[in-house]
Amino acid sequence: MSELLGTQAKAPGLSERWGPVALYLLKRLLSGALVLLAGTAAVFFTIQAAPGDPALSALGEQATPEAIAAFRAEYGLDAPLMVQYVRWLLGFFQGDLGQSLAVARGMPVGALVLQKLPATVFVGFFALFLAVVLSLVLGTLAALNRGKATDTIATSIAVFGVSMPDFWMSYVLIFGLSLGLGLFPAFGYVAPSTSLTGALHATFLPALAIAAPMAAVFARTLRAVLIETLSKPYVTAAKSFGLRRPFILVHFVLRNAMVPYLTVVGLQIRYILGGVVVVERIFGIPGIGSLMVDGAFARDYNVLQACTVVFLAIVLLVNVAVDMICALLDPKQTVK
Amino acid sequence: MTNQISRRRVLQGITALPFAGSLSLSARAALAQSTTMTAAITGYSVINSLDPAKASLIPEFYVIWGVFNGLMKFDDEMNVVPDLAETVTALDGGGYEFKLKSGVKFHDGSELTAEDVKFTFDRVMDKETASPNAGKLGKVSKVEVVDPLTVRILTEGSYAPLLTFLTNARTGTQIISKAAFEAMGAEAFSRAPVGTGAWKVSDWRAGEGLTLSAHPDYFEGKPGFETVEVPLIAEEASGVTALQGGQIDMTSTAPAADVSMLMQDSKIQVLRQPGLNTRFISINLKKAPFDDIHFRRAVSMAFQREAMVQAVIFGEGVPAQGVIPPQLPAYYSTEPRAYMKFDPAAAKAEMAKSKYKPEEVEVGVITWSGGWWKRFAEIFVAQVNQTLGTKFKVEVTDANTAYARQKSGDFEAGVWGWLGMVDPDEYVGDLLTSTGWRNFQGYSNPEVDQLAAQGLAETDPAKRPEYYKKAEAIAMDEVALIPCFCSNIHNLLRADLEGFVQKPYSNFADQFRSMKLS
Repeated sequence: MSELLGTQAKAPGLSERWGPVALYLLKRLLSGALVLLAGTAAVFFTIQAAPGDPALSALGEQATPEAIAAFRAEYGLDAPLMVQYVRWLLGFFQGDLGQSLAVARGMPVGALVLQKLPATVFVGFFALFLAVVLSLVLGTLAALNRGKATDTIATSIAVFGVSMPDFWMSYVLIFGLSLGLGLFPAFGYVAPSTSLTGALHATFLPALAIAAPMAAVFARTLRAVLIETLSKPYVTAAKSFGLRRPFILVHFVLRNAMVPYLTVVGLQIRYILGGVVVVERIFGIPGIGSLMVDGAFARDYNVLQACTVVFLAIVLLVNVAVDMICALLDPKQTVK
Repeated sequence: MTNQISRRRVLQGITALPFAGSLSLSARAALAQSTTMTAAITGYSVINSLDPAKASLIPEFYVIWGVFNGLMKFDDEMNVVPDLAETVTALDGGGYEFKLKSGVKFHDGSELTAEDVKFTFDRVMDKETASPNAGKLGKVSKVEVVDPLTVRILTEGSYAPLLTFLTNARTGTQIISKAAFEAMGAEAFSRAPVGTGAWKVSDWRAGEGLTLSAHPDYFEGKPGFETVEVPLIAEEASGVTALQGGQIDMTSTAPAADVSMLMQDSKIQVLRQPGLNTRFISINLKKAPFDDIHFRRAVSMAFQREAMVQAVIFGEGVPAQGVIPPQLPAYYSTEPRAYMKFDPAAAKAEMAKSKYKPEEVEVGVITWSGGWWKRFAEIFVAQVNQTLGTKFKVEVTDANTAYARQKSGDFEAGVWGWLGMVDPDEYVGDLLTSTGWRNFQGYSNPEVDQLAAQGLAETDPAKRPEYYKKAEAIAMDEVALIPCFCSNIHNLLRADLEGFVQKPYSNFADQFRSMKLS
């Protein structure tokens, strides 16, 4: 069948593509590491250039000049900036991210980040999952019923979702589904290790608040791509062979639509991180987003630096992963 | 009743099925198990240290008040009364002798002695400790152990605020266990401190919250609840929804904008009163244009403080004409002050005497975007510009920067305020004397300095207020800063929770012991 349709016939087999893919992966990871390094320098000098002082956050407004001087000496903040950065970098290569200055004074930042990361990863994946599921349903429904009421409704939901900022969406969901109907808690977090169902229940609203705007973007992309794909000659050809619509949809249309769709998904991942920062605070989820906001307000340079590294690494890794998936899905796409 | 609930119950049932394991969190109210209370610290997300000597942030003290005791405390009428002390005797030549209550037990079971008291105070005063609270004991020359239950604190001359600074308030002089501290070291002690208070810290999660468990041997009796969960909720608005949703039982603050709405809610109690705080426009007297007394007076008369209270904090406060708040009644001055009220004609007349032309000066008023602080600056700027034709503008930054700039003198004007100060010297002495560490405006008047020094030494409560009242009147006549208002403090509690006595310095964990469900 595929020979007849000519879409996959000349493509090399999966195993043949692994060699160049592995090389490509290595290259991407290396360049990613360089970007990460440049990122740490950019962040370090930017946050240090911002006015404010971690000593004031840690010791409070009532701190004496002696106490502030002692604080600066204790954490090496009295050294020249370049020295401080090199120290940080040396520590970083040895897996030491320094001590927290002002959000959990004296605590190792690495431990702090590891303690907070699971909640963010959990909520982030939950949000991504919801966004993908919602968009697959809405986008497909809209494309298959183009111009009909279903399309209008699905598209309207998408426009609604994309125009609602995540913090607003959070409060709408809290007032509607939590305070109004009592279906979900308005606040709080349950670790998946304590209770998986509890975690899903407690983080459903925050995940949905992050997912809604993304789902809207995904759905609109999918709708456009599907409509374009549906009008392709090979779809007409497949229909003329008498293949059933669901089969065509899954095997020819959705598969070909996946590459542009996943590219958009990959690009939007950074919005999950942005959303997490806002939504974690509203729902009291003890994650990296909350930690980063606290770190920024308190001028806890080490914490802020570590959170940025983590976020940057996630974005880089996800982009590589999406590229890999696209390369594997699309035999015509050659890796360079 | 059943009809009303049925639809909701059905919906709950449907959605709860896949989440059966989580019912404990959501469907029930937090207090259903009445052995645990959830008391959230709202509006803050950082606790660095629970070691009183190192603590400085208000959320740190919120917890410390329940974990420790001071030698003294404020009673429900804000009188300074003994706490760990049994009796207090003033010594000739300055200082006090304290007889300690016997049989007071620390969390680790050891008994409180005079050695612990001496160790605590020596440590706060030790330069090595670099305690932000060292100033509270600044005039203390020596701490002497007389016998296991008697301790003397000697001061250089008489030092009136000493007893106030030994209370279990925002002081840092709470008594710690010497043995536990030496065994654990400063770092570990700051996370799992050992005090005499009704609550032990059984878990501390950075940026997230704490778990307190009851100290069974507490000297005033065992607490009602077994456990108190203290989550840190950074957004005040989230604190309100969490309380409404039943995830928490009380909060440490409330957003001013929501107070009137919350007072209509029969499921929530709103406790409020004017707080021990002062909110003002901090001005730089060392720079143009606020170096000119007529300019300052003109600006101070160019805006309506009552309107400001309405617009900025939704009526949750009172206008101020000085730095001392009404909750220090002996020191609070009700005499009308010439330059501290709205008078557009007089403001324009003063401006005419100034060496600056209003349309020529550009003043940035520093503020930040948390809470109502930005609105505070906006209302001030808009009113002054309208009255005087000045070109003030709002400069938005963040709180940390705003503070750093005012402290370093890199500003013309900015909104500012102080919270939780219990002694008049912290207002007049710190804010208005030439050596006062809160005096960012650079105000200096020898007469004010002299009066404040006399107030600091005057131990007779009948005479002491006069010095501060006089000093404040002089400084306000010269507009050392521009006082605006004093705001209310709030706690939100679920309706059936009782036993919390609110105090104007904004107290918290010190009340948990006597709280219960009605």
